[in-house]
Amino acid sequence: MAWLIGLRDLQWGRRRFAIGVVATALVFALGLLMSGVSASFDNEIDRTVGSFDADGWVVRGDSFGPFTGPATMASARAAAVRKLPGVRRADPVAVLRATTDTPDRANVNLIGVVPGGVGSPPGSARVLQSGRAAIADESLGLAVGDRLDLNGADFRVGAVTSGMTYFAGIPTVTVSLGDAQRLGLGGLDLATAVLTRGRPATVPAGLALLGSSDVKEDLGRPVRQAQQTISLIRVLLWIVAAGIIGAVVYLSVLERVRDLAALKAIGVATRDLVGGLILQAALLSLLAALLSVALEEAIAPAVAMSVEVPALTFLTLPIVAVLVGVVASLIGLRRAVGVDPALAFAGSR
Amino acid sequence: MTLECRDLVVEYSGGGYVVRPIDGLSLDVASGELALLLGASGCGKTTLLSILAAILRPQRGSVRLNGREVTGLSGSALTEYRRHSVGVVFQAFNLLPSLTAAENVQVPLRAAGVSARRARRRAEELLGQVGLAQRGLHRPGELSGGEQQRVATARALALDPPLLLADEPTAHLDYIQIEGVLRLLREIADAGRMVVVATHDERMMPLADRTIELSPRHLEGVPSRGEVHLAAGEILFRQGDLSDLVYVVDQGDVELVRMLADGGEEVLSRYGKGEYFGELGPMFRLRRSATARAIGPCRVSGLPVSDFRRSLQQRNGV
Repeated sequence: MAWLIGLRDLQWGRRRFAIGVVATALVFALGLLMSGVSASFDNEIDRTVGSFDADGWVVRGDSFGPFTGPATMASARAAAVRKLPGVRRADPVAVLRATTDTPDRANVNLIGVVPGGVGSPPGSARVLQSGRAAIADESLGLAVGDRLDLNGADFRVGAVTSGMTYFAGIPTVTVSLGDAQRLGLGGLDLATAVLTRGRPATVPAGLALLGSSDVKEDLGRPVRQAQQTISLIRVLLWIVAAGIIGAVVYLSVLERVRDLAALKAIGVATRDLVGGLILQAALLSLLAALLSVALEEAIAPAVAMSVEVPALTFLTLPIVAVLVGVVASLIGLRRAVGVDPALAFAGSR
Repeated sequence: MTLECRDLVVEYSGGGYVVRPIDGLSLDVASGELALLLGASGCGKTTLLSILAAILRPQRGSVRLNGREVTGLSGSALTEYRRHSVGVVFQAFNLLPSLTAAENVQVPLRAAGVSARRARRRAEELLGQVGLAQRGLHRPGELSGGEQQRVATARALALDPPLLLADEPTAHLDYIQIEGVLRLLREIADAGRMVVVATHDERMMPLADRTIELSPRHLEGVPSRGEVHLAAGEILFRQGDLSDLVYVVDQGDVELVRMLADGGEEVLSRYGKGEYFGELGPMFRLRRSATARAIGPCRVSGLPVSDFRRSLQQRNGV
């Protein structure tokens, strides 16, 4: 009975219901986009750190980390690290920033690696050994063979990677350590870190050993505020969605006070009436959640930043949406419970 | 099957003062009887229907349906009573606009746990009984006032209650539709139900087995004029009393006092020698809206309305 009245009422007010669904879906879609952007920050950090395939990061002792506070050291210090117990291999890397104007003016993250060494992307040795060659992320919009300008020097794109960005979507370009030193370290034989396979128990004086989690923390520091802001916006968006659902249900109750009074007067249990309203709120939320997935898929390509909505978010959204919808309808439900059946006797039609 | 109401009193406060639309009412209706609650607006017809429908509780008195006390019901017993013992046809019909006529009739059935199939069959049967077999799939907005009235009646009869209440059943209908409704109500009563109809429409009187006049039409004849001597503080009439005479002060002073909801009182006005008061009640058949009390020893003359009008004309030289 509850579902019949609830369903018929939705059909009766289908325009308002449709507007409620679309408005709520837009809010949910924005929430999904925000989740996707926030998740992409974490994902790019994981991908970036994972791409180096290093067990340890040896940096200067006074450095914040290899990405946010790169302090240089002589590349030759890698030799000392190689000799440490537990280290199977160690190679210097240079983590720098550069600019490009191909195809458009942009900042890039510049990584200099020993071709074939620790930190060198798999299969990149031959590409990088040729000199003046770069492995560029696809987000730069370049293809293999294209010219790539780095700090005014010409490079050739030897390979293209996917998802290799950090610091909120800034593309990563990998070159040989020698090229990186020429581009950003004045041609000096310097490095900003030594990557190891195997983990040394201790490091030489003046150096510090960082694990992957330390490096991820270092990479995440610049985007932490952005992520906090996004989290706050997501909470606000949930509140807005709840407000829309709550308003739709409350208006529905206000419009139907006489109907509710009459139903009570003829012996329809209050729980049945409340059930109908909960059904409306749940249906509105569920449809909005489903529509929001389609909207998110449509809008995401237009977003400048990477949007990587976790699969779990897609799965939990309908459930959370229904719960939020039901909670949001509580004010309306309370109003419905409080309707006096005596109102059914009011005279005017 | 009988409906017995004894000494019903309903009192509520509004605007800071107390109103008692029903004061000591008793009523009996037997199976097959159609009782008419007749009276003007505000006389308590709908209030009485609300009590019979167990929507409102009287301050005092009892309502018994087949010997079972109704006024103390609560919770599931109350819901059961509303479902199975009484059917209500509201003045505004109160059909759900989003449901078809048949679905509206099914609502009480489904609420009472009747299966969908049986509810559908019963709704079809009832709509056939009220002459709307072909209109079951129409929504209330597509039906005339009379048809909506009949759908509302079918809904009220869905669970076969012994008591049917109808509030102003002729209020929104034209004379052709009224005829159909009157016939239907009479048929329902003749089939063995108790039917109680609240109306201000005196044309329905021939239809009724009994008529309960709720307006204070208490003066069967013309009340006799007379002189009343009051001691200080003595009450001449009380707020809520039936009105009969208009009073003129011959000697002393009288004050009109309104009894407030919080138990206090508010002095409205004072009347001295030669002044009159309490004229609107008997003229318009209203209950007394205030209490008249002697301030000191006084003497007043009570006049029937006709005498009062004459004396007023003489006084004004008309």
